[in-house]
Amino acid sequence: MTDPVTFAILKNALDAIVDDMAYTVMRTARSPIVRDVLDYSCTLCDAKGRILAQAKTVALHLGAVPDAMAAVMDAYGHDLQPEDVVILNDPYQGGMHLPDIFMFKPIFHEDRLLGFAVVIAHHCDMGGRVPGSNAADSTEIYQEGLRIPPLKLYSAGTPDEALFGFLRCNVRVPDLVRGDLDAQLATCVMGEDEIVKLATRHGTDALEAFFDALIDYGESLTRKCLTAWPDGVYAFTDYIDDDGLGSDSIAIRCALTVAGDHVTADFTGSAAQVKGAINCTLSYVTSATYMAVRCALDHEVPNNEGVYRCITVTAPEGSIVNPLPPAAVAARALTGYRVADAVLGAVAQIVPERAVAAGEGGNTVVCIGGWDSETREPFIMVDMINGAWGGRPDKDGIEGITNPTQNMSNMPVETLEYRYPIRVEEYAFRPDSCGAGRWRGGLGLIRQYRFLGDEATLQLRADRARHLPWGVDGGESAAPARNILNPGTAEETELPSKITRQIHAGDVIRHEQPGGGGHGDPAARDGTLIRRDLADDKVSEAWVGRWYPGHRADGGN
Amino acid sequence: MTVSHHARVGVDIGGTFTDLVLLRADGETAFAKVSSTPEAPERAVLEGVGALLSAGGVAPAAIDEVVHGTTVGSNTLLQRKGAETGLVTTKGFRDVLEIGRLRTPDMFDLGWDKPEPLIRRRHRREVTERIGADGTVITPLDEAELLREVTALRAEGVRSLAVCFLNSYLAPTHERRAGVLLAEHFPDLAVSLSIDVLAEAREYERTSTVAVNAYVRPVLADYLARLEAGLQDLGIRAPLRVANSNGGLSAVATARAKPVFFISSGRAAGVAGAGHLGRAAGRRNLIVFDMGGTTASASLVHEGELSRLQEYEFRAGISTPSRFIKAGGFLMRVPTVDVAEVGSGAGSIAHLDAGGLLKVGPVSAGAAPGPACYGIGGTEPTVTDANLLLGYLPTRLAGGELALDVEAAAGALARAVAGPLCMETRAAAAGVRRIVNDNMGRVIRAVTVERGVDPRDFSLLAFGGSGPVHACDLADDIGITEVIFPPMPGVFTAAGMLAGDVERYFIHALPGPLAELDAERLRGPIADLRAEAEAALAEEGAGTASLEFQLDLRFMGQDSQLPVSLPDVPGADIAALMRERFLDAYRRTYRYASADAVEMVNLRLVARAERATRLDFAAIRGAAGEGGARTTRSVHLADGAAPSEVPVIARAALTGEVRGPAILESADCTIVIPPGWRAAPDEFANIVARADGGPS
Repeated sequence: MTDPVTFAILKNALDAIVDDMAYTVMRTARSPIVRDVLDYSCTLCDAKGRILAQAKTVALHLGAVPDAMAAVMDAYGHDLQPEDVVILNDPYQGGMHLPDIFMFKPIFHEDRLLGFAVVIAHHCDMGGRVPGSNAADSTEIYQEGLRIPPLKLYSAGTPDEALFGFLRCNVRVPDLVRGDLDAQLATCVMGEDEIVKLATRHGTDALEAFFDALIDYGESLTRKCLTAWPDGVYAFTDYIDDDGLGSDSIAIRCALTVAGDHVTADFTGSAAQVKGAINCTLSYVTSATYMAVRCALDHEVPNNEGVYRCITVTAPEGSIVNPLPPAAVAARALTGYRVADAVLGAVAQIVPERAVAAGEGGNTVVCIGGWDSETREPFIMVDMINGAWGGRPDKDGIEGITNPTQNMSNMPVETLEYRYPIRVEEYAFRPDSCGAGRWRGGLGLIRQYRFLGDEATLQLRADRARHLPWGVDGGESAAPARNILNPGTAEETELPSKITRQIHAGDVIRHEQPGGGGHGDPAARDGTLIRRDLADDKVSEAWVGRWYPGHRADGGN
Repeated sequence: MTVSHHARVGVDIGGTFTDLVLLRADGETAFAKVSSTPEAPERAVLEGVGALLSAGGVAPAAIDEVVHGTTVGSNTLLQRKGAETGLVTTKGFRDVLEIGRLRTPDMFDLGWDKPEPLIRRRHRREVTERIGADGTVITPLDEAELLREVTALRAEGVRSLAVCFLNSYLAPTHERRAGVLLAEHFPDLAVSLSIDVLAEAREYERTSTVAVNAYVRPVLADYLARLEAGLQDLGIRAPLRVANSNGGLSAVATARAKPVFFISSGRAAGVAGAGHLGRAAGRRNLIVFDMGGTTASASLVHEGELSRLQEYEFRAGISTPSRFIKAGGFLMRVPTVDVAEVGSGAGSIAHLDAGGLLKVGPVSAGAAPGPACYGIGGTEPTVTDANLLLGYLPTRLAGGELALDVEAAAGALARAVAGPLCMETRAAAAGVRRIVNDNMGRVIRAVTVERGVDPRDFSLLAFGGSGPVHACDLADDIGITEVIFPPMPGVFTAAGMLAGDVERYFIHALPGPLAELDAERLRGPIADLRAEAEAALAEEGAGTASLEFQLDLRFMGQDSQLPVSLPDVPGADIAALMRERFLDAYRRTYRYASADAVEMVNLRLVARAERATRLDFAAIRGAAGEGGARTTRSVHLADGAAPSEVPVIARAALTGEVRGPAILESADCTIVIPPGWRAAPDEFANIVARADGGPS
């Protein structure tokens, strides 16, 4: 048993190591989706593949690590050597969607396997029919790009040139993909070095004993929180507008069963798998569930296997939340957001004092790719628009904020314009887009792009155009999402929420994101807050007149 | 008293005390410590200066220079007490400042509060204009609209204005034109142009930097004007210089116009002073460690160079050593001494979290209610309580004025830590000390190990009220074998300022592939920056300059760059030479390098004017031994071990080597020399401690 002081020191050390791993990716990566938008995550696992610590990166990657680890152990569990590096991206063998390449580097000390450094990064292209490999309208995984089963990218330090060559031939931007793989590797090496230092300092046996104790600590904290939740079944259903290929509304149903110190999330009743590429692997559904439950636990609870022992996730095979091959999955993040929304809706019934209205519904992905007409160099812009939180029990929702399932950033407009034949014409809050309530939701964002090249493929994935971010406790829904082609011109066209199409020189694409839902009865809102929002042009007089008919501009309420 | 002594004064305002150091031309020094007066900080400064003049026997007219590190900038941000500030920006981009970079400092916390932006939305106005990504004008500046919007802002009480247009870093024409027009029409409005504080890509970073500048500007300018007037009233005619966040000094006029460069004024000056001390003492590799009541900080001097950042974020509360998460603060992209800080100080409170994990800090008992042993209201166990119970601290502090209550310390530790963990109280105290040492070790690792630097190649320079109590144990943990305790550790930052240089920073965007760089391409930009720097230093009234040009380089496609020094005379091989230097720097930082193309981002210039009159640490000589009592006290040196009788020696009395365990005391500071260490004064009045077995 690790003494309490050493325990605290080692726990801090692991947190510091994953934090530094995350920093290393940010500083060394090449593609804006990784280095600016920060679509990646860093994890340390023990020799059994159990998660020990995770950086403050994309939360929805985290629950996927155990499945991916299991796939790696199946393939190479008895054949791991120092300086091996294993990668995979196949959603049906431990992955999530093809752009996310998982990299595992086993950590050895004195010929003993101590654990794994794991880095998942969203690569800006993995081949397939559409630049960015992220289309929502693919119908089979074979259209989505290159599938990589668990394979050694390096064997005992020697690169597999065949695999590198194969990758290079199958992606549109091989230098960026290689550069980002280098960044992943540098990060794994850094994590490995630091763990080896801990082992040298504290001894391998003591370190392994600590790993067990750390996981137990996560479990005991989680169980302590869950015990306070009243036993029962709490269900919530949320919806995705459509799959982009003509489907009806797609239900995501979550029934949370609280029994003592354990929670089971059952997604029976969710829609069958769909034709479009928003099917979501069970591992990703599990991540979204962990994240939503985790938000209702105490802050001290660490991110490790011990937490996940207390949460079971099940979903019927062949459903949108546990699809069978060859279902397309590239845009599965959308379903992950809705899973998180549904779980948060159920959790809100368990701990109403922490209930939060729905946020914007997940980031909107805008991908514009093509070839430069002069140089014939390929370009692929993958941009993600975030976001707004719903109203909270004691305050408004935040505007201009990552979706809580991630911890993403934005691509600077000046970086975007410097790198791509695109001019951004507007990046601002969308007034009146929030749900009214005693505490209003955050405002959604507007991002408007003008394409300056000759021709490109636009691929846009949004949602919440019909099923709006909901309010709680009497709060109102937020405004719907809109996609508009060439706004303010004779050719102005309202686009569907998910679309892949060609665009040409001078075309303008405008996305208006929903805000967050409201919390509580609008009639209870403090008049000074209404006046503040009016003075800041965050809401219009008309909007206030509609939702707060009792409000008086003279200071009465 | 004689009036013939010329002298310089260094002033550092802290949260509790304002420290002043007077350095006479003949090398004599005098110190003063007065209570800070946060509501009007200049009052404490002026009171202290008055006291110093009498103590040092110096006439006001004989003061040659006053050098100042101020917390007015950081306090203005912390307390949100800046001027009503407006922003003029490109149509379509009103919310860049408030949207920020979207991230949250903690995950899974849906109750987080995103800080309100420094400039409210109602005061952020859009103007029709647009520069393209190639620097060409897409839409000309609508001058009438600009004047209309600013007229409206004036009517709403805006006193300070920031201007930031998209892509202005590539073509400053519209911002410059706006600056001219606004100066003409609104002569009493303080206007800050983004390109004057940061001519660099990324609109949020540039907007945030100029917003901080505009927000702090009237407050800092007013303060400095009051201070200057007060010094004049005392009869001091000497120039006032202000320490900037990078550890350099500037004329007061620069601080008034560009306050964003002066937010971490004092803290950086301490590190810069440490660098000068290191050079004097022949130590090119130093870890600078400062531990106060609520925080501890570490910074690096490597091969004689201070470690610097191009960007940092100011936030309320305690910074963590996380370099990855940036959120919840006010971002400034300005050159800054890289200081890692952690909420671990003498007053940090030890407690158990819900899972029974022992934690120390970041909450501090501060000066009030204070540690339990102070008996002034504190009941929670602090690091000071643990140190007292273990015997590291005397039972009377501050020259014997404050008696410490060992029983209260033991009671607090037993109740909050030892009881719940079923430990002996002294073992719990030792645990608190280990945890806080470990937390502080993290900041040291943050500036060494995590930058690929081996701390064992460094000496630890320890100052601040509590640094010397922990420094040797900390060094043991990390494998450092030499610890240096400077003279006057309690007022070290104020003294260090007197050793500073005048510094200014210049930047020129220079995007393009490194392979295409030749000496000809550099000629124009280097000449422009050189002329700009020389003019600026002349304005500062500073002497001849040393100019250091750097290129910001990165692999093609990356977003983060490394600054790499240019040779004095770029030759025909400049592209190859810079590539080699970049790969070296990259490998040192990230442990690999790629074969890919390298691209340039910016040309930078650091211009320094060294002054003959600055404090020379090499000239300081220790006072002769004064004798003094040699007593002993009982100290628990190791977990669970029996107490040892440890000699306690007055610092000034130490002339030769002493072997640990030993405790060296002076009125302001306790130095702990543990077993396995030996300590002796050096010729520069430092105490140098060395670990047995380390290199001597």
